Amino acid sequence: MKPRERVLNFLEGKPVDHLPCMPITMMYACKQIGARYRDYCTDYRILAEGQIRTAEKFGFDYVNTMSDPAREAADCGAPIAYFDHQPVALIEDQALLADKAKLLALKTPDPLGGGRMHNGILALRLLKERVGNDLIVEGWVEGPIAEAADLRGINTLMTDFFDDVSFVHDLFSFVVGMELRFAREQITAGADVIGIGDAAASLVGPRIYQEMVLPYERQLIEGIHSMGGRTRLHICGNTRSILGPMGSLHATIVDLDSLAPIGEARNQMGPQQILLGNLNPVTVVRDGTPVTIRAELAECHRAAGDRYIVGAGCEIPRDTAEENVAALAQYAQSVTQ
Amino acid sequence: MPDPKPLYDAVLTGNAQEAKALTQQALDEGVDPLVLVNESMVPAMDEVGRRFQANEYFVPELLISARAMKAALDLIRPLLASRGNQPVGRVAIGTVKGDLHDIGKNLVASLLEGGGFEVIDLGVNVPPEQFIATVKDRQANIVAMSALLTTTMPAMKTTIEALKQAGVRDQVKVLVGGAPITQKFADEIGADGYSENAVGAVALAKQAIKA
Ligand code: B12
Repeated sequence: MKPRERVLNFLEGKPVDHLPCMPITMMYACKQIGARYRDYCTDYRILAEGQIRTAEKFGFDYVNTMSDPAREAADCGAPIAYFDHQPVALIEDQALLADKAKLLALKTPDPLGGGRMHNGILALRLLKERVGNDLIVEGWVEGPIAEAADLRGINTLMTDFFDDVSFVHDLFSFVVGMELRFAREQITAGADVIGIGDAAASLVGPRIYQEMVLPYERQLIEGIHSMGGRTRLHICGNTRSILGPMGSLHATIVDLDSLAPIGEARNQMGPQQILLGNLNPVTVVRDGTPVTIRAELAECHRAAGDRYIVGAGCEIPRDTAEENVAALAQYAQSVTQ
Repeated sequence: MPDPKPLYDAVLTGNAQEAKALTQQALDEGVDPLVLVNESMVPAMDEVGRRFQANEYFVPELLISARAMKAALDLIRPLLASRGNQPVGRVAIGTVKGDLHDIGKNLVASLLEGGGFEVIDLGVNVPPEQFIATVKDRQANIVAMSALLTTTMPAMKTTIEALKQAGVRDQVKVLVGGAPITQKFADEIGADGYSENAVGAVALAKQAIKA
């Protein structure tokens, strides 16, 4: 069974040969081809090369176009900083929307307008062309609160929730419109799945999450589904207090970070939700051994039940030993169904 | 002695305007500014920290409470200075080189200010040389470093080594923190103190300069 068929079957509840394996690699994939991370973020050919090499070498079922959180914000005109060996980053003290009034004049950038989003689309097309028959090709968009934080400055956005709720709604609406447009182009370019990263959602607690963030995540996810796309929701950090609402979004895949117990996610999201995760990327994946990693995965799998895809809680750290990364797919392959 | 509760509540609920107004009122009535700090603001921030640990408060609440405390502090600081009150100590704080996470660092900086320290905030991605320059040029006696990435934790060690090389390690206490940091790590790299949260950071800093 080819990886793509395995994952698609699995998502539809049809028989598969063994568990799928879809961990996030970015800096790790870049290291596989000895490139600078700066180039991985800015040159789609390097990103594609790193992803393909990594997936083939370690037996992953997919490739992914994520590199850093600053793609959309950069195209909106936000000041960003490039580093040779770190992800592209927003310059927070020069945030684009430091002055809230600027939101009114902000235009949704064209995802095919030659900017950083376009580079992401080109990566997707190239991946589709080279491995799209065999592997799942996954695109990426920022979620509402993550992208709003990029545009406004995360420290400021946190206080906006108390100071100016209507501004936050306006900003989230703008973001969802932009991300849907970006997602549509990625689906057109061949994305099988759209990943949604909404890191800052783990910081605001259940009340603000449900009142302010969840409705926009819902718009984004339902919008992508109505375009015929599939979704993978990833919220970095501790999501324990928002698992129930997250489940109500019915993302195709919920990719859980390591700080929330996956058994609790299963209880709160119901038996049908596909869960992915959630080994601690540092203490288990990087600092463990193949034996301990396989044991931890078995425990995750037990707690998550059948509707489970192998992965770590977040990005695999760059300095993880190869045998540890290989242990992920080894476990997946050992669980024949 | 005024009722400490209203100012306490204003800080606890993150109402900066109210905190400022109450502080101004108390000062106009001749209340000792240190009483406001010690009886209202510090206990309020302790409670904020407790609620954060207990998952009753989250980052937005932390930040608005810190902001309310700062608003009150802005009125108090010049009075203390004009009275000749020295700051408890002078802290050079920053997120280490390669690391851009600053929410936790900002909170620690605010609370240290609330605790009577003069805080020199060096921002994020701070190279060792900048910590050293601040110690030398501005006589900081505490260096406080934050790191959120496993990959940037070693920069704390590098900074401590650099402080030694520059001959200023003995003039300062080095405090470290951030989600992946542990007491064990702090001991290994030769830091003088570690705290897992911002409220603990103030107690730690006070202890450090006494020692
Ligand atoms: C917000 C965030 C970001 C924002 C940061 C914005 C900003 N201005 O800070 C952005 C989007 C930029 C970001 C980027 C990245 N991030 Co990030 N991020 C987070 C997130 C979601 C929250 C961190 C946070 O603010 N916590 C809240 C504060 C209040 O807690 P705190 O910092 O721990 O501080 C408290 C204590 O530690 C203590 N403290 C802190 N400092 C100090 C100092 C002293 C002296 C003392 C005594 C105490 C003390 O007091 C504070 C209050 O109690 C976490 C996940 C999570 N939810 O934890 C990931 C996380 C920290 N990020 C992570 C990663 C991997 C990255 C990226 C590499 C991702 C990428 N590939 O793009 C980049 C790296 C960028 C860089 N070079 O730094 C990982 C780190 C894994 C690891 N251990 O190495 C995490 C844990 C996510 C994950 N699950 O993998 N991130």
